[in-house]
Amino acid sequence: MNLPWMISPVCSKTNERFMDPKVEAILNEAESRYLQAEELKIISKYVESLPSRMETYQQLRDKELEIMQAVASQLEAQLPKEKTIDLERSLKNAMLMLRYCGMAMLLNDESFVKERLLGWLDGIVETYNSSEIEKTLYRLTLQQLSQVMSKEQLGLLKPSLMIAKETFIKS
Amino acid sequence: MISVADLLIDNRIPGNYFASEVYVRSDLELGLLENRRGDRLIAMPETLLQAIYSGLDKETGQASRLVLYNCGRWWGKNFYARFCEELSDYYKKPLAEMAMVEFVQCLQQCWKTHGWGKIDLDNSYHQQGFLVVKIENSPFAAHSPKGDRPVCFLDAGVLSAFFSQLTGKELECIQTSCESLGAEGNNFILGLEERLKPVSEMVGNKIEHAEIMQKLVNG
Repeated sequence: MNLPWMISPVCSKTNERFMDPKVEAILNEAESRYLQAEELKIISKYVESLPSRMETYQQLRDKELEIMQAVASQLEAQLPKEKTIDLERSLKNAMLMLRYCGMAMLLNDESFVKERLLGWLDGIVETYNSSEIEKTLYRLTLQQLSQVMSKEQLGLLKPSLMIAKETFIKS
Repeated sequence: MISVADLLIDNRIPGNYFASEVYVRSDLELGLLENRRGDRLIAMPETLLQAIYSGLDKETGQASRLVLYNCGRWWGKNFYARFCEELSDYYKKPLAEMAMVEFVQCLQQCWKTHGWGKIDLDNSYHQQGFLVVKIENSPFAAHSPKGDRPVCFLDAGVLSAFFSQLTGKELECIQTSCESLGAEGNNFILGLEERLKPVSEMVGNKIEHAEIMQKLVNG
């Protein structure tokens, strides 16, 4: 017989997020009163931004391999001394990161990246001591993204990309 | 040349499996807690933890340490089995093929998500045959009765069983510093029973963790 897993008293919160946290907070307010013009404006701003968020997300998804393959080739060329296995690992982590960034952009919630991925991923980067690779990788990824994405799309992705930068590039 | 497409398996990149937001789920109506696979979780309120400690102390006195350690061993054995099963299912590869770093990151996240505190592994005594584990913010230390020696016998049992199975060697585990005694973390030393023999006495004599390690290493 297997014992159930045990959660101790300091059990973490179990809320899953599906939208912009600001919008969510406003919707909670609406249970006791009508929403004010300012609050409605925040909601419509998010709703209006959704089609372009969707489009950016789809673009990111469809062009992922193209973007990252170009990054990979340049990375190999620029860091010829690094071992392939190290480059591959960093590339894989970068792709994972980009996928999370895409989702965070869709939700307009950067904490999606912070809370779900970073505590886990930065430990891996730290242990492998790969900050040189990460630096180049970040620069190349940003370059490729700006070639494939429009300015507006890049602007939507920026907040979560900045979090990735802060995490991986601590020099 | 690196092929990015080859880095993906079924277009998946496994990430942070134990992230608390996705790992723990609750059903308010039924009052159930489940993990992301639908396995039941139990929540232990502080009162229950305290009651276990004081009940055991009343019923078994000194032996409660051994009882807790053995409960921990049993729990740790199941914990290891489930941990491996879940991770290898998620990563689609056996645990043995996982990189050590990934494994440790997953263990740390798992520990945190279950509310057992922050766990860190110190491999630097590997050559001498010891593994040091440090746990901070342990609820088992926080709610234990205050005594004059470390109290996390449950944790020690869990660690002993977990790492015994991981390494395939029968490892004992002794706690050398404890948050309940004002230390900044709970340190545990794992090693073969024979090698750990002197530790218990040193802990009884209130020798600090760092000094114990030094004595152990210098033989």
